[in-house]
Amino acid sequence: MRFSDLGAIALLLALVFAVYGIVASVLGARLGHAGLVQSGRRSVLLVSLFLVTAAVALIASFVRHDFGVAYVAEHSSLSMPWYYTTAAFYGGQEGSLLYWALMLSLFAALAVGLSRRAPADLMPYVVATLLAIEGFFLVLLVFVASPFTRSRLVPADGSGLNPLLMDTGMLVHPPMLLMGYMSFSLPFAFAMAAMLTGRLDAAWLRSIRRWMLASWTIQTLGLLLGAWWAYHVLGWGGYWGWDPVENCALLPWLVATAYLHSAMVQERRGALKVWNLGLVIAAFALSIFGTFEVRSGLINSVHSFAYSAIGPWFFAFLAVILVVAVGLFVYRLPRLRPEQEFESVVSREGSFLLNNLVLVGIAFATFWGTIFPLISATFGHQTMTVDAPFYDRVNGPLFALLILLMGIGPLLAWRRASWAGVWRNCRWPALAAAVVAIVLPLLGMRAWWAVIGFAVCTFAAGTIVYEVWRGVRVRHGHGEAYPVALGHLVGRHRQRYGGYLVHLGLAALAVGVIGSQFFQLERDANLTHGQHIAIGPYAITYVATSDVARGDVETVTAHLRISDGGRTVEDIYPGRSIYANFENQPTSDISITTHGLRDLYVFLADWNGADQVTLRVFLNPLVPLIWLGGLVMLLGGIICWWPERRRVVASPLLESRVARMEVAV
Amino acid sequence: MIDELVTPEVGTPTRRRKVPWGFVVAGVAIAAAIGYLVIANTSATADYYMTISQLRTCHACDSRAVRVAGIVEQGSVVRDDQTQVIRFSITEGTDVLPITYAGVVPDIFRPGITVVVEGQLGTRGVFQARTLLAKCPSKFQNATPAPAQP
Repeated sequence: MRFSDLGAIALLLALVFAVYGIVASVLGARLGHAGLVQSGRRSVLLVSLFLVTAAVALIASFVRHDFGVAYVAEHSSLSMPWYYTTAAFYGGQEGSLLYWALMLSLFAALAVGLSRRAPADLMPYVVATLLAIEGFFLVLLVFVASPFTRSRLVPADGSGLNPLLMDTGMLVHPPMLLMGYMSFSLPFAFAMAAMLTGRLDAAWLRSIRRWMLASWTIQTLGLLLGAWWAYHVLGWGGYWGWDPVENCALLPWLVATAYLHSAMVQERRGALKVWNLGLVIAAFALSIFGTFEVRSGLINSVHSFAYSAIGPWFFAFLAVILVVAVGLFVYRLPRLRPEQEFESVVSREGSFLLNNLVLVGIAFATFWGTIFPLISATFGHQTMTVDAPFYDRVNGPLFALLILLMGIGPLLAWRRASWAGVWRNCRWPALAAAVVAIVLPLLGMRAWWAVIGFAVCTFAAGTIVYEVWRGVRVRHGHGEAYPVALGHLVGRHRQRYGGYLVHLGLAALAVGVIGSQFFQLERDANLTHGQHIAIGPYAITYVATSDVARGDVETVTAHLRISDGGRTVEDIYPGRSIYANFENQPTSDISITTHGLRDLYVFLADWNGADQVTLRVFLNPLVPLIWLGGLVMLLGGIICWWPERRRVVASPLLESRVARMEVAV
Repeated sequence: MIDELVTPEVGTPTRRRKVPWGFVVAGVAIAAAIGYLVIANTSATADYYMTISQLRTCHACDSRAVRVAGIVEQGSVVRDDQTQVIRFSITEGTDVLPITYAGVVPDIFRPGITVVVEGQLGTRGVFQARTLLAKCPSKFQNATPAPAQP
């Protein structure tokens, strides 16, 4: 038996057990038959076992170069190194669908394994929902887009993977984003279970929160890796282009961020239940939209994926999800009454509500811009598109408002905050922001939006630092050394301080975005030996070009020298690689060197023998802060998510002092 | 903005369901701001995305930037290495549009691929492109959807 046959059989069996699992779970729950419920849970494990088998079979087909499998022939070649051959598994459409389904089954198995802490009567419906989603992908994989389809003519060699995809960033960022999309299924499954059973009390909230945090963290990582890849491979000097594919990845992230805040309001005050459930449904629907949009050809993107038959299937699936989820939602509305009323806008919950509005507003604007070609073609007379300037002008101010709220929000007390208290807590950060707003223009900065942005980020970062400092000081006053106090503070209140860390990271990231958005320098030049180009304080001199052929890759490398005021800083070697199967598509080895907080980004655009090179050079200020801020956000997400141990209170007095301080702010 | 919000007296027992005016005002203000930003910037930044034949018959296109998609015609590419100006034609069906573009050309640019150019139709029917985007095939397949017809 060939591996491809094994894989095809495994997929079919996975589908059979997925359907069985749905039936067993639902019947078991309706009839109160514990054996059937248990059987449904076990079928989740079986489905993931079969999907793992299918994935292994596909990887084995790649590694053994079984070009009789059409998918293998289209996405690999004999000369590719083993890691790209393995990664080619998810390089095309069928494989990426298999990857999605595999990840979902593993996460579903994890959810079942961890379900001892989740409310027991929800679990059968969680299982059924997850298996229904899984079933959809399995139907596609078995009947519409099977990665195991064999062709009658077996080619001697495959056509290879697109060279743009042969990059370490490419090995990790698409799977991360697909995993992020997939992970929004879990909160959705818990929400569906809560709506189906009508158990809409606090129990489901905890489960959803933790899974949503996990999704948020995975999606954050996927977005960061995508931006990193774009920056290091594509050669246009930027990291985010507001392309439909990027927008679609951002949409569920924005909605998840909104949910993570508004869920706290529900936890504390029993309000916003309708809104929260709506956000969970929206996040999942947007993640399916993202998965589907990028591979359906619905909207033109610079990334053109294969235009295939699965578009209508995804559209139908999305429609079913929306009809079922929204129908249930409306049916359960009477049980979603708020337990308490809001009292004042100037309160923690008030700031959360406003931040939710802004986040959903950003998501709406981004969605609107993404589907504007469709809207204008349907309702207007002409297909129209919006691109980066639209998003910059709409989302820029909204993000500034968001970061401002991010600074104020954590300082406000629940229910009702006093203005005096607010002022006491934010006067120093406000002063720091004012200093920034005055000093930057005095230093000659005339981009007013940038000045406002920097001031707002200073304020937000300042409030967090000040807040942490006050917490540490209280503990220090009780005899703890500063580092110990900080460790305990964060360790004992992970959600709170993890959240602060995310905020701090976002402020840093925003500073990086503002810096590169407003103060990027760009120069194009044709250089012959000894000539140089000046950019900012730096001069880049052309030294030589080399041309090396190794295996099926030919690499052209320019030798350039960076100098700063006559002093040589560094030699750099930007180049191009030309792959044997893709002569017309050289990929870039961009040289990015970081000098302090500035990136010097040198792209070899063209060359003419060993005599002349055409360069495109960017000086990108503050871009390193984007990656640093992103890492801090990730760390914060992980700290928030990390399971809390049962709390051992070392000093009850101290804990209560700290707790009281937090209530008092 | 928030100073002017009506907040109820502290301590008075609430018997009837209060209208949370503070939230209404703040929410409406934010929603209005978002709506304004979206609408104003849509009309300010939207570009026509059209086929070559639509561009030929378009009367409003002299004064505004448009985007046109097409396939780079075989044998039409002429590069001038000194000035970095590139001339080529794109086709769609039987329509042909000559284009000039100055700047760095995308890696994958070559005859036969689909490109999207943004710019203006100049005199004598030559399109002056400001940006040149090549469709990046994430999967190496030769099937790119054309811009939607209105």
